Amino acid sequence: MADAPPRASIRRRLLLFLIPSLCILVVGASAATYFVALHVARSAYDRALLDPALDMAANVTVDANGPRLAMLQQVQEALLYDSEDTLIFQVRAPDGAVIAGDEGLGMPPSLNRGERAFFDGRYSNQPVRVAAIRPDNGFYVQVAETLHKRNRLIWEVLVAGLAPTLAIALATVGLAWTGVARGLGPLESVRAQLLRRSAQDLQPLDEHSAPSEIAPAIEALNRLLGRLREANEMQQRFLANAAHELRTPLAGLQMHLELLLRRDLPADVRDEVSGMHKATVRAGHLANQLLALAKAEATAPDGARSASLDLYAVADRAAHEWVQRAMARDIDLGFLLEHAHVAGDPMLLAELIDNLIDNALRYTPRGGTVTVRCGAAPDRPFLSVEDTGPGIPPSAQGRVFERFYRIQGTPGDGTGLGLAIVKEVAQRHGATLHIESPADGQAGTRVVVRFPAPVAGA
Amino acid sequence: MRILVVEDDSLLAEGLTRVLTRAGHAVDHAATGAQADKALGTNLYALLVLDIGLPDIDGFEVLRRLRSRQSHTNVLVLTARDAVEDRVHGLDLGADDYLTKPFSITEFEARVRALLRRASLPAGAVSIGQLKVDVEAKSIRCGEAAIDLTAREWALLELFITRPGRVLAKEQIAQQLSDYDSHLSANAIEVYVSRLRSKIESAGVRIRTVRGFGYLWEAPDG
Repeated sequence: MADAPPRASIRRRLLLFLIPSLCILVVGASAATYFVALHVARSAYDRALLDPALDMAANVTVDANGPRLAMLQQVQEALLYDSEDTLIFQVRAPDGAVIAGDEGLGMPPSLNRGERAFFDGRYSNQPVRVAAIRPDNGFYVQVAETLHKRNRLIWEVLVAGLAPTLAIALATVGLAWTGVARGLGPLESVRAQLLRRSAQDLQPLDEHSAPSEIAPAIEALNRLLGRLREANEMQQRFLANAAHELRTPLAGLQMHLELLLRRDLPADVRDEVSGMHKATVRAGHLANQLLALAKAEATAPDGARSASLDLYAVADRAAHEWVQRAMARDIDLGFLLEHAHVAGDPMLLAELIDNLIDNALRYTPRGGTVTVRCGAAPDRPFLSVEDTGPGIPPSAQGRVFERFYRIQGTPGDGTGLGLAIVKEVAQRHGATLHIESPADGQAGTRVVVRFPAPVAGA
Repeated sequence: MRILVVEDDSLLAEGLTRVLTRAGHAVDHAATGAQADKALGTNLYALLVLDIGLPDIDGFEVLRRLRSRQSHTNVLVLTARDAVEDRVHGLDLGADDYLTKPFSITEFEARVRALLRRASLPAGAVSIGQLKVDVEAKSIRCGEAAIDLTAREWALLELFITRPGRVLAKEQIAQQLSDYDSHLSANAIEVYVSRLRSKIESAGVRIRTVRGFGYLWEAPDG
């Protein structure tokens, strides 16, 4: 996983969409808030700025000395007092000459008599807000104010408006991050279900607990699994049918070759017929093995552990099956059996023991010994078959359970499938396979199948 | 003895017929289940060699119908299908023995001999090698010399000659020979078998030991 190229991630895609969108939204909200705040600050403070302007306009008089502002200095100061901002005023005669106040303020915009106006201006290089009025007498009165408290108000409104917006945006990103994980939980459980499976398990996934978004994906997956299952079953059915259809003609062929061998034949003909007979017997054996393997594979993992049965009974049946064949080959086939209960499939376990014995008889020379044991000692039920054959070299022990693997240079006419069948059946019973040396320390092979310990109360 | 071979594969059927005819039996052949059913309804056979995979009605059905007519004809089932399953199913339906295809002639002949011997057992005295055994009269002689057997040895002998060619587990023998109030130990069985063995081995009959398990009655061919 570490080396894999980065994959498209749903979470990343979602965040890549969400974060820029949220940024745009936050910027937009900020702009809107700013303009609202600006408007609020203006309409509130502009009105307040108008009052001193109106007062002053009311006190402009024209006497012998010309026009002047008839207002005491103290009153002017009181009128223009502000704890935060600096206020200045200016009164101009109708001809534009400054008659009172600060000359630093520029000419107001042209106003008709009785009109008023608010505008942004500059005073000694500072931005200011100016209220200008032109009463009926034609004078111009302007009061200007620096922007400190307006800016403070705008800032306060912005903060009050934006802090929650930003908090919500951050929370959204966080929730999306965790929400994706939560939302994808069902996918994770599907993944876990799939990971737990063995290669042969093609049962459909549970569709009912899946949310509607991934149900179609699971449905599609189940359809695929179904097709695989069908293909698998068809393959196994084909193999079973093929093996089955092969057996009858092979039986006929073998029988006629044996009838031929009973006749008086010239030595060279006999050799050839005998070779054909051996090949026919081997083909028949192979057909049987393929069928057994197909059957073992068709059984679901753990599906084999259906019934409780006694290994003794399984080995007992094998005794009836194999003793005469062993005697015909002059091999002492013995059974040292104790009762041992396992959960298993009697048909598959019969295949297992048949193949172990068949294998042992094949590789044990005449006069040798093959011993079948079963029991419950010490804690797990076991079944073992040991022989006095050549043994399996350590280098080949890992491979003898592979299909069609045969140890190089061994005599005999095995198919290379026997131990593969043993392995398939053992796996389906949760049993482990071990290749050991015979108990008495002689040459040979002991294959042990150890079954899981029986569940208490089962 | 009259034997019916039910097999749809002509090559195999011909081979089976030839083997049985050479052994001196009268052989009828049926290629379908219906033919077999008809033949079994009209003639009395000592042995039925029955293939399971027939084109019309399968061998199991032929067997079921045969047994439903209360027939005790011995049945040797030939199967090309899954050996173990067919074996169990066949034996449940009343087959006496089974062979999985393909098989050797020797194996086939041995099964046929065993089944025919079993079929003929109740009829008075039987010859096994040089032994002449009359189970009903409880007399056994080797050639002309009479052999003396105890009741337990007789029981053991009967057990063996009714199951020729079959491996008998010690447990099985113990069950058959035990009285209601006593259970024979494996050691006791060994003692009885070795006594019986010493009394009859001169007649060419062998009781072979299956190590750790039981015994096999091995009669000379014939």
